[in-house]
Amino acid sequence: MSDDSAVLSIDFLVGFTIFLLAFIWVLSIIPGLLIGLQAFTIDYDAVAYRTGVILVEDPGQKSTNETSWEIATFQQNYNKADVLRFGLAVSREDPNILSLDKVNRFFDNTTFNYPGDYHNRSIFGDYPYRFNISLKYIGSPESAKSIGEVLPEGYGYIRRFVKIKSMSNATIDGSNLTFLNNERFINGDNTTRTHIFSILLNNTDLIGEGSLVKDAAYKIIPGKESFMINLTYLNQTIVNAMNVSQENCFNISLNNTIVSDSTRTITFFDPIIDEVPLHMTTPQPVKRNVSILYNTTANRRGLNWEAPQITISLIFNLIPTGEPGCTMGSRFLNNTYTAPFDYDNNPNNVTQPQLRDAVVEVAVW
Amino acid sequence: MVRSDGGQLYTIEGFAAALIMISTAYLVVNATSVYTAGDTHINDMQLETLGTDALTVMGTPMNTTEYDTANSTLRMILEAPDRDVMFRTKFLELVNSSGTGPKQDIQFVANYTCRIDNSDSTIPPLQPLSSSSRSLTGGEHPVRVTKWVIVNTPCGNETTRDRAVLVEVLLWRD
Amino acid sequence: MARLNDDAQWIVLMGFLVSFSFFFLALVINQATVVGQTTAESVIEFPKNDIRDVRSIIIRTESDTIQKDVYAISLGRKNAVVYYTFPFTPCYGKYSCTQIHFKSGVTEYDENWTSP
Repeated sequence: MSDDSAVLSIDFLVGFTIFLLAFIWVLSIIPGLLIGLQAFTIDYDAVAYRTGVILVEDPGQKSTNETSWEIATFQQNYNKADVLRFGLAVSREDPNILSLDKVNRFFDNTTFNYPGDYHNRSIFGDYPYRFNISLKYIGSPESAKSIGEVLPEGYGYIRRFVKIKSMSNATIDGSNLTFLNNERFINGDNTTRTHIFSILLNNTDLIGEGSLVKDAAYKIIPGKESFMINLTYLNQTIVNAMNVSQENCFNISLNNTIVSDSTRTITFFDPIIDEVPLHMTTPQPVKRNVSILYNTTANRRGLNWEAPQITISLIFNLIPTGEPGCTMGSRFLNNTYTAPFDYDNNPNNVTQPQLRDAVVEVAVW
Repeated sequence: MVRSDGGQLYTIEGFAAALIMISTAYLVVNATSVYTAGDTHINDMQLETLGTDALTVMGTPMNTTEYDTANSTLRMILEAPDRDVMFRTKFLELVNSSGTGPKQDIQFVANYTCRIDNSDSTIPPLQPLSSSSRSLTGGEHPVRVTKWVIVNTPCGNETTRDRAVLVEVLLWRD
Repeated sequence: MARLNDDAQWIVLMGFLVSFSFFFLALVINQATVVGQTTAESVIEFPKNDIRDVRSIIIRTESDTIQKDVYAISLGRKNAVVYYTFPFTPCYGKYSCTQIHFKSGVTEYDENWTSP
């Protein structure tokens, strides 16, 4: 018969006490194990480094596996859902050399929203990191571009140095009549009113295998990058056969700008006339300057930009002002029957892309 | 009176349990280590990335004309007579520039190596290139970054010819 | 022989329970602390910039003295064996190719480079 008179033996008490003391001591060691541990801060630097590599060394990717994610595929509508991953580099073979178009598109906060759009395309991961990505030109007083929040006290950080490829452009100066006459760009006679001026983008020389520029970091790639053509002082180009200005006799009007790849033709509707960007569906008057800026939102659809020759033609019309003593037409910028202006790798004709130093910083917390 | 020692079992079991727990605790606490900031090598990685990027940016030709002649800022610095001043100015300008991030004070010591012509394997000692104001005392933990350049210089007592040269920079943070 | 009194075994069992849970906790914590460290160490260990750098010099090589420079200095200062064929062999018609080999003891890289 068991004795359950509720009296504990001394031995039991002693044994249990020793056990309990040891147990309490061991429990008190556990907080010491957790000293060096903070749940998510340990990998901020690793995430910042990874984002830095993705932005600076990779050209990015669209859902169609192309790398030109910054170009709007249809008119001005840019579809940001097409972009799978951001990347600012010019190409895979040119790490640390960034494309200006991609940089402008990346830092454009009217297109992409912080943090969702950027997180899914460059930071990755399940945890909702907060971040700040900034880019600043070195040695220039321009202020830094940045997206994200203000930096807190502690964060993971990486700094990368890069070179940014600037845009190529060409300027045809209407006041330089000697040059224009040498190149035979001024043509017509006393009766000509409609003048067509053409600029040739010869892809065989620019991006073809025979191109003298081998590295994509220095090439002019009209299909994938922005470029600009400026025609300045057009009013001084209205001259007669003796190179005397007929400026008072005529007003210049730009009828149309067409771009052709020798099989198809599209119209360019958005020239910048006298420094004012316009959307042009009818002929517009021009006082002095016309600029064609083919940037990432300009319409490139309907044309094969890799075709051997792309020609941009501006169609001008001279409208008589009605002043007495004027002829019916005049000579003007016109190369319909002579050679087009060659937008090529010659630094005398076209300002070539230059690489400028910049610093990209990624902070994650 | 009969002495009953049946309860000694409790005591012994208590001791045994206590011993097991204490020895496990001792082993566990000794096994896990606390990582300090230096052990993780994160700072080393950041510094090395910084240094290689800076040298890459200095060694990239600025336009297609420079590319065709294999010229770059780094090559022009190495071929100039006052190369130490030029290198220090350009390198520190790059490395200490920052946008919105923290200001940093980076020190460096730079050297370059080239090969002796009449022997295929012996490497001559490092030629000094430049250094920032403080010299290496041994207490820092410098990181080494390198960059190849093609230059046309004598490089010590050798003949002047086109040669491949390795620029090495030791970087550390104060 | 009378049956041994095993009423107190529950004390030892409790002791074991505490030990095992302590052990498990320590194991989990140990894995967490190495997250940031292994990323940084693997970045430093892989010679990405060395390979890119040597490759850009090999592509611009124009003489075999430069080739000897690259071999000797890579071995002496970078502890890496570099080998490539110079002059570049003609291949695929009008291109020229070279076989690039880089071995640093930890990493080995081979490439058949074609000039564009």
